[in-house]
Amino acid sequence: MKALFRRLVEVVSGVVAELSDQNAYRRHLAAHGVAHSPDEWRRFQDEHWQAKARRGRCC
Amino acid sequence: MNRFLGRILWAAIAATAAFTMGAIAQSRGEPVNSMWLVIAAVCTYLVGFRFYASFVAARVMALDDRRATPAERLRDGHDFEPTNKWIVFGHHFAAIAGPGPLVGPTLAAQFGYLPGFLWIVIGAVLGGAVQDFVILFCSMRRDGKSLGQMAREEIGKVGGFTALITVLLIMIILLAVIGLVVVNALKGSPWGTFTIFATMPVAVLMGVYLRYWRPGKVLEASALGFVLVMASIFGGQAVAASPTLAPWFTYSAVALALALIVYGFLASALPVWLLLAPRDYLSTFVKLGVVVMLGVGIIFLRPELKLPPLTRFVDGTGPVFAGKIFPFCFITIACGAVSGFHALISSGTTPKLLSRERHVLGVGYGSMLLESFVAVMALVAAASLEPGVYFAVNSPAGIVGSTPAAAAATITGWGFPVTAAEMNTMAQDVGEQTLFYRTGGAPSLALGMAHIFIQGGGGRALLAFWYHFAIMFEALFILTVLDAGTRVGRFMLQDLLGQISPRLGKTSWMPGMLGTSAVIVAAWGYFLYQGVTDPLGGINSLWPLFGIANQLLAAIALCVGTTILIKMHGAKYLWVTCVPLVWLVIVTFAAGWQKIFSPIPAIGFLAQADALAAGRQTADTAALIFNNRLDAAVCGLFLILVSTILIDSIRVWAGILMGTREARTTETPFVPSRLAEEL
Repeated sequence: MKALFRRLVEVVSGVVAELSDQNAYRRHLAAHGVAHSPDEWRRFQDEHWQAKARRGRCC
Repeated sequence: MNRFLGRILWAAIAATAAFTMGAIAQSRGEPVNSMWLVIAAVCTYLVGFRFYASFVAARVMALDDRRATPAERLRDGHDFEPTNKWIVFGHHFAAIAGPGPLVGPTLAAQFGYLPGFLWIVIGAVLGGAVQDFVILFCSMRRDGKSLGQMAREEIGKVGGFTALITVLLIMIILLAVIGLVVVNALKGSPWGTFTIFATMPVAVLMGVYLRYWRPGKVLEASALGFVLVMASIFGGQAVAASPTLAPWFTYSAVALALALIVYGFLASALPVWLLLAPRDYLSTFVKLGVVVMLGVGIIFLRPELKLPPLTRFVDGTGPVFAGKIFPFCFITIACGAVSGFHALISSGTTPKLLSRERHVLGVGYGSMLLESFVAVMALVAAASLEPGVYFAVNSPAGIVGSTPAAAAATITGWGFPVTAAEMNTMAQDVGEQTLFYRTGGAPSLALGMAHIFIQGGGGRALLAFWYHFAIMFEALFILTVLDAGTRVGRFMLQDLLGQISPRLGKTSWMPGMLGTSAVIVAAWGYFLYQGVTDPLGGINSLWPLFGIANQLLAAIALCVGTTILIKMHGAKYLWVTCVPLVWLVIVTFAAGWQKIFSPIPAIGFLAQADALAAGRQTADTAALIFNNRLDAAVCGLFLILVSTILIDSIRVWAGILMGTREARTTETPFVPSRLAEEL
């Protein structure tokens, strides 16, 4: 039961991290081999949203 | 032994699905508890997923976990990334869940809860989920290509171009109709208007917070935004109670429509980090939270359905929108049963995140079942209202009478008792000036949700809060779709114009960006303005147009899916996509034909234009006649575009099946997965 609950928490936090772009940012840092900084976040935000803003939201 | 027990369990689930469906369908005269609908829907979904979807996954798609997915082969740490299946599921569901599954079932409840319920559940299991599933599979096997690219490569250039134009037109109608839903929810409501206006500076504050104060702290900014938005609901209450401030936030439908048009332009032109990104985060979390709350509320509180299973309006004389169950129920509920828009999501980000092929089953088919369940919950919320209240809120003045007393008398005369005093008390309870003529579905859904939530505690004292919370929730994510949709429409237009002049296609060129933003906003703004000035309330003309457009996009997606299945297996499994395709073509063409040519003015655009031309002429008559003819032309254009792609597809299918055409597929070759070895 405890393991199931832990798994549920992991999944929910994983979904939240994906929806809040935290996972995407982590991947961005790893891909570019850089550490987090305000400038790096702004660079990520610009690149990421340039693509994301082209995708329609569903009705 | 385990296998035997499994069979017994599945037989019991299937029998429960059949029994509950039968009980709901047979029920007449006595109130039905919403749990019957919940159990029938869940059991049907389980049977559909376990047997039908698994059959399609194994036999038709031959999903193979030994085959590397694009996320593994093209992993770039950016778009392509193997991701946990539950996270992809959550991501995909958040992307497909919009206002449609909430509003459509609420509007279709005018027929009673039964037709909408059956269509939502059966349509999703055999049509909508199959479409999402097949398109996700096709895109995954083609390196995450978009629907337009697949249409071009698998069917032909004509198909690809037609798909692009159709999507752009659908986007325009979609933005107009969801704008109309917001306008109708906020007109004459200082509380609601203040709350929604306040979400704009809140989003900007979140944007600045994320960009400069606490870069990268999205959850922190979202929590701050949520607290401020909740505070704005209480602020709205104070504004509505203030004789000085209330007039500042009390607007007519036309004024709100103009404000929305200006907002749409600004949202498209402003930097994305300032408004769109923070609003997107906030609305996603609020949306998922409210869906969970509604689900928990319905399951634990089990509200009783007060609307009958079938109303007298199955004959096509309904006040919410005109037209008989067939075909109008099936186009009014698009999202929640079958939604073409999902094909754009299934061929967007999701296929690039799948780490194993078999995850397509849960993500593609499963997410759509969950969306269908959201639609069932919206239907339950609307059907738990007293029928007289439901019709008083959703009927336009042009049909029920322009005074509360006249409207109450008309609705009572239909057999759904309601009084003006009762509606007045309810309006006071929720902090509104009136609840009559609040067409569009959002206010009645908010009322239904508020009545469910107060049963959880707090009583009627919290009715006003929950009503405005629900309005805030609906408007918040409708505006997010509006922001994002305007921007997407602008990019699509720039892509098209870029073929003529490369400069116009450059998104960084300011005049091009402003010009294309203005064109897109003007296009949906025109239809929105037309909707708010329509004497029949706008929903009667715009929602069917949107439903037809969305279902036609589904028909395009199913054409692509059928083409690929024929290339894979010949005629053997083409029924998987062809059955929903044939149904959608019949429904949408019947609805489209009626909307254009029906001799009944409430249904047919041309008949209404003729009736207006023959009647008393006022200053607005010429504009109304033009609008009806324009709507007829747009509807006709949709039918022509989809006929084009359908004929093109049939030509390709016939060629392949008769052996006169090569079944050339663009599926990427098999590459063994290293992730599968690791697993």
